[in-house]
Amino acid sequence: MKSAVMAEIEAGKPAGNGLVSSSLSPLSETLWREKTNTELLGDVSARLTWKDLTVTVALGSGETQQVLEGLTGYAEPGSFTALMGPSGSGKSTLLDALSNRLASNAFLSGVVLLNGRKTKLSFGGAAYVTQDDNLIGTLTVRETIMYSARLRLPDKMEKEEKRALVEGTIVEMGLQDCADTVIGNWHLRGISGGEKRRVSIAIEIIMRPRLLFLDEPTSGLDSASAFFVTQTLRGLSRDGRTVIASIHQPSSEVFELFDQLYLLSGGKTVYFGKASGAYEFFAEAGFPCPSLRNPSDHFLRCINSDFDKVKATLKGSMKTRFERSDDPLEKITTSEATRRLIEYYRRSQYYYTAKEKVDSISKFKGTVLDSGGSHASFFMQSYVLTKRSFINMSRDFGYYWLRLVIYLVVTVCIGTIYLNVGTRYSSILARGACASFVFGFVTFMSIGGFPSFVEDMKVFQRERLNGHYGVVAFVIGNTLSATPFLILITFLSGTICYFMVRLHPGFLHYLFFVLCLYASVTVVESLMMAIASVVPNFLMGIIIGAGIQGIFMLVSGYFRLPKDIPKPFWRYPMSYISFHYWALQGQYQNDLAGLLFDGPSPYDLKIPGDYILRDVFQIDVHRSKWWDLSVLLSMIVIYRIIFFVMIKVSEDLTPWIRGYLARRRLQHKKSLGGPTELANRTPSLRAYAAPPKSSSSSSSDIIV
Amino acid sequence: MGDMAPEVEQAQPPAAFLVWEDLTATVKNLRGRKSSRKLLQGLSGCALPGRLLAIMGPSGSGKSTLLDSLAGRLGRNVGLSGRLLLNGQRRRTDYGVAAYVRQENVLLGTLTVRETITYSAHLRLPSSMTKMEVAGVVEATIEEMGLEDCSDRVVGNWHRRGISGGEKKRLCIALEILTKPPLLFLDEPTSGLDSAAAFFIIQMLRQMTRDGNKTVISSIHQPSSEVFALFDDLFLLSGGEVVYFGDAKLAPKFFEEAGLPCPIKNNPADHFLRCINSDFDHVNATLKGSIKHLSSESSSDPLLRLGTAEIKAMLIDRFKSSEYALMTKRKISELSKIEGFTVEFLTGSQASWWKQLKVLTRRSFTNMCRDIGYYWLRIIIYIVVSLCVGSIYFDVGNSYNAIWARASCGAFISGFMTFMSIGGFPSFIEEVVVFYHERQNGHYGVAVYTISNFLSAFPFLVAVSMATTSITYFMLKAHRDFAHYAYFAISIYTGVAVVESIMMVVASLVPNFLMGIIAGAGIMGIIMMTAGFFRPVRDLPKPVWLYPIAYINYATWLLEGNYKNDFIGSSFNPLVAGDSKVAGEFVLEDTFGVTSTRSKWADLLIAAMLLVMYRILFFLILKLKEVVSPLFRKAAVDTKAL
Repeated sequence: MKSAVMAEIEAGKPAGNGLVSSSLSPLSETLWREKTNTELLGDVSARLTWKDLTVTVALGSGETQQVLEGLTGYAEPGSFTALMGPSGSGKSTLLDALSNRLASNAFLSGVVLLNGRKTKLSFGGAAYVTQDDNLIGTLTVRETIMYSARLRLPDKMEKEEKRALVEGTIVEMGLQDCADTVIGNWHLRGISGGEKRRVSIAIEIIMRPRLLFLDEPTSGLDSASAFFVTQTLRGLSRDGRTVIASIHQPSSEVFELFDQLYLLSGGKTVYFGKASGAYEFFAEAGFPCPSLRNPSDHFLRCINSDFDKVKATLKGSMKTRFERSDDPLEKITTSEATRRLIEYYRRSQYYYTAKEKVDSISKFKGTVLDSGGSHASFFMQSYVLTKRSFINMSRDFGYYWLRLVIYLVVTVCIGTIYLNVGTRYSSILARGACASFVFGFVTFMSIGGFPSFVEDMKVFQRERLNGHYGVVAFVIGNTLSATPFLILITFLSGTICYFMVRLHPGFLHYLFFVLCLYASVTVVESLMMAIASVVPNFLMGIIIGAGIQGIFMLVSGYFRLPKDIPKPFWRYPMSYISFHYWALQGQYQNDLAGLLFDGPSPYDLKIPGDYILRDVFQIDVHRSKWWDLSVLLSMIVIYRIIFFVMIKVSEDLTPWIRGYLARRRLQHKKSLGGPTELANRTPSLRAYAAPPKSSSSSSSDIIV
Repeated sequence: MGDMAPEVEQAQPPAAFLVWEDLTATVKNLRGRKSSRKLLQGLSGCALPGRLLAIMGPSGSGKSTLLDSLAGRLGRNVGLSGRLLLNGQRRRTDYGVAAYVRQENVLLGTLTVRETITYSAHLRLPSSMTKMEVAGVVEATIEEMGLEDCSDRVVGNWHRRGISGGEKKRLCIALEILTKPPLLFLDEPTSGLDSAAAFFIIQMLRQMTRDGNKTVISSIHQPSSEVFALFDDLFLLSGGEVVYFGDAKLAPKFFEEAGLPCPIKNNPADHFLRCINSDFDHVNATLKGSIKHLSSESSSDPLLRLGTAEIKAMLIDRFKSSEYALMTKRKISELSKIEGFTVEFLTGSQASWWKQLKVLTRRSFTNMCRDIGYYWLRIIIYIVVSLCVGSIYFDVGNSYNAIWARASCGAFISGFMTFMSIGGFPSFIEEVVVFYHERQNGHYGVAVYTISNFLSAFPFLVAVSMATTSITYFMLKAHRDFAHYAYFAISIYTGVAVVESIMMVVASLVPNFLMGIIAGAGIMGIIMMTAGFFRPVRDLPKPVWLYPIAYINYATWLLEGNYKNDFIGSSFNPLVAGDSKVAGEFVLEDTFGVTSTRSKWADLLIAAMLLVMYRILFFLILKLKEVVSPLFRKAAVDTKAL
């Protein structure tokens, strides 16, 4: 049975494509055998074609700009296609258009077919590797890949199998030597840039996608690492996958590894065909590559209009001229050369071959590749995320450990200043000040963990974009994993403070104090999370966080007595929103109720704490302190919900609004008699991991 | 050098012949053990005027070490031996003699290209030059570096889009060639740039080398074919040893003779690096293990059969006995004999101290004006917070509760509001980085910087304190005369200025900005706690907290002064109606433990003295860092090389 299926897979491969190896790698075989048993019958390869692809971007000023113009091409299984071109030529846009990741203000027309069908490129079938490596710095390479695998592979898959898959991926990406090295972050030295890039790729190929998109996988790497990455990509394509990558400035060795080359300039095709054929194409077009010259350098030199500017400036400022003059490029400008090349390509055999090939591939109706970013259940995702987050927090010194040290130092300071505060007359104010300082300033120091959290958010956004898990799973994971640390920090520092100052004796009083501190710190944490989801920049986050806390502190009832706070706005609702208010109300009651204080002079009567609460601090003594605590706890939940809503808004609503506005602008232009006919088309929503239903409209409508 | 380009009209600029022989650099082990690592092994070579020398090699081959040793910028833990001659004489190729363009671009983001160059020119060119002359030099430099198109655009920073990376790099080079140094070092000027920008820069350097008869030495990472074709000489390094030194055009021939011809469809530079980069061995070994298809492919390449380690050893051996090495030797002995070429080179800056102070203050002020994050954002925050405070304590009055309200209002303003100074931290750090860089190049002194920073910040801090004071003073309606208002304003100014100074001290001690914010917040916490509001000064535990912390804490003095300013002369309604009014002096003594024997102005004076002390501390720390830092060491090569 199994062998029959495999044979069918083999048979499904395009005949005559000599590049495809005779069998899948042992690793892929395991996984695909697993899958073929359940869902797949037949060909699992991905053939991508695009015809007359045009992308128009609506700019903020109401102008539109054609970023890509009438591109036609294809990508076959077993081949490695490189998109090349000078910066701004549309490489990334083409990649985004093919992978259905265009921004919401970009409009696409033309036909993009996967296996002959207008399918939405889903996450199971296609994977996208972005240019920046957002990885968790404290995990080792093996852990990173393992957690990612457990987040997405089906629950029912055996642990051993998952492990084997991870090990296989590590070997496939050549990461054996650094498998147990940490990735590294700002204070931790880790693996090299090339290794990071390969880890990013490894994470994406865990699910064995048949189609792989990579945005400049070699940028920022030295020649050896770039060669390594490209070589691995070639290896992946030989495994029967379709690999498409945009590449900026390949070295000669790297260039030799490409199968197909798509050369773009200014959104137009300069060349599409076999990479090895480009050399002749340029020679035929009248721009032969000089000897001892990297062909790709030469190609880019011919079509990069920046060189025109460079030459113009040089000529203007220099007294002497260029020395070389045998080069045809010295005589004409690059924009002229580019124009000639584009013309030449339109009439060349290469263009017709490509068109024919596109038509023949399009006719072949292949399998619809399965969709879905993650096969793991929600509980599995939450569990894995919690565990991963916990390990990250325990290893990242800046996340909680640094804060623990600071908290201990600060509470020891407070403890010595208010040491053994007692029940003298002056102690009344001292107790109040102590509580206010603890709940005001100490909770404020939670801001210190903000940068680590921002790092976390970056990883979350990348994984979210690739559909690895949902927002709820992330929030749960973060909350659960942070709890032990927050409890540790607040209990230790709370205990130091409580016993050094000798606050109201009694276990329940101690417990209340510590719990109240815990709740306050967690509220600040949740508040900062909510801020982080709105503010992109971390300095702005800290400033806004500090500002909000400052205002909250001001209306908490210490700096200004509750009844003196102006009623409109500041008392209702600000002081009730302020978590300091509730914390102080509870802690004052907890600390003062039931104590007796000395009077102003030794002859005066003792002052009961309840009197002070009611008349000096103006606390509502009828409300139980435990009620105050539960308000604090519910605030934690509320802020987490705000965080969740904020992410949802930025994910779904914002792109929709931007797309809507762009469409409106286009329609407006059309009604004015503009030449564009794109207005009726829906914008392709940026492919967040939205359920197929909501985004199907975008993809199916575009492809007309 | 008789065949100079005839079109050079100006007076012959001084020429620099740089020769090095048997240059060996070793990392000294700090623990004194004998296991020191050699970074450079017996390198010999020379750099001639009018020629562009490229130092190439895989990462970790010693490119930067060689460049640093030639430029006299080696770290303190690296020992250097061998001979280094400039125009036949042993001398430091220190600051001023040689210009050094670092890999990272250290620029103020808010200035335009022309302003950046102009300020730098005024800082370093002799004070005797007129404004017109300086402007002439600036314009000539802009033209020489091809920066005309972007000369009026800002450089750009984290929140502002500016000029491109290539333009930034050219601007950095322009700053270094302002003083017309005969010798120019560049550390990987093209890294991070696209091919057109990289080509532009190297073409520019080549032209500059030719026209100005300059000696230019540049390390370069992965030049494209076009860029490689622009170099005159090539110094190819691998593992600290020389693989090739000589004419760049002859290098392919050398490799061909060694049995490693460069394929015609290949960039020679890529080919050389491919041959000697031992990383490729590692890459191939890993690939063989992980991808089975590769073993069958492309085995015709000699590079895959031989390991790069063997190739490298072979090449190094071959070069030693080659005619290229002989030629170098001959040239070196010839150049070592040159004498009488000694030219008095310019030292770091020729501008007078006053002029430096003036220029620096103006530049810093311009920067602060344009950078939203430096002060403007803070002024807005202060106004917003002041409005909040003002509305919460609106018309505070003279009731019994107003005693507490007035005290806490003063404490909140001086505590929390000064705390927001942290917001300017990143901008300040950006400026400090520029300072370090310019200081390393000897553009100006530490004292000039400290004073100019104080002067340029002054108007902004005054604006901050005026805004805060005016809003809260008029909303609170506590007092109605000018003296109280003035006292309040000066006190706020002093507070903000001291916090600023403390933050500067923190910034100069702490490496990164997050640590700076945390440390700053911690210090502010302690300052607030001991200032006398959260715990009256008389109740503070004597050891540590009272002596000395409360006394060196500026906030203690300011808060005490503010209490006196606010309470002396006021009287408050009693707690129980019918009792006599409570006098402000009584409240001071009884509640806050403040005796009114010392005048409030004396308190302010002490706080101002603390401000000066913190500034001096900042100055001392900068000075101390220089003494410790290896880059400021004088006579680096002198002492060790001989």
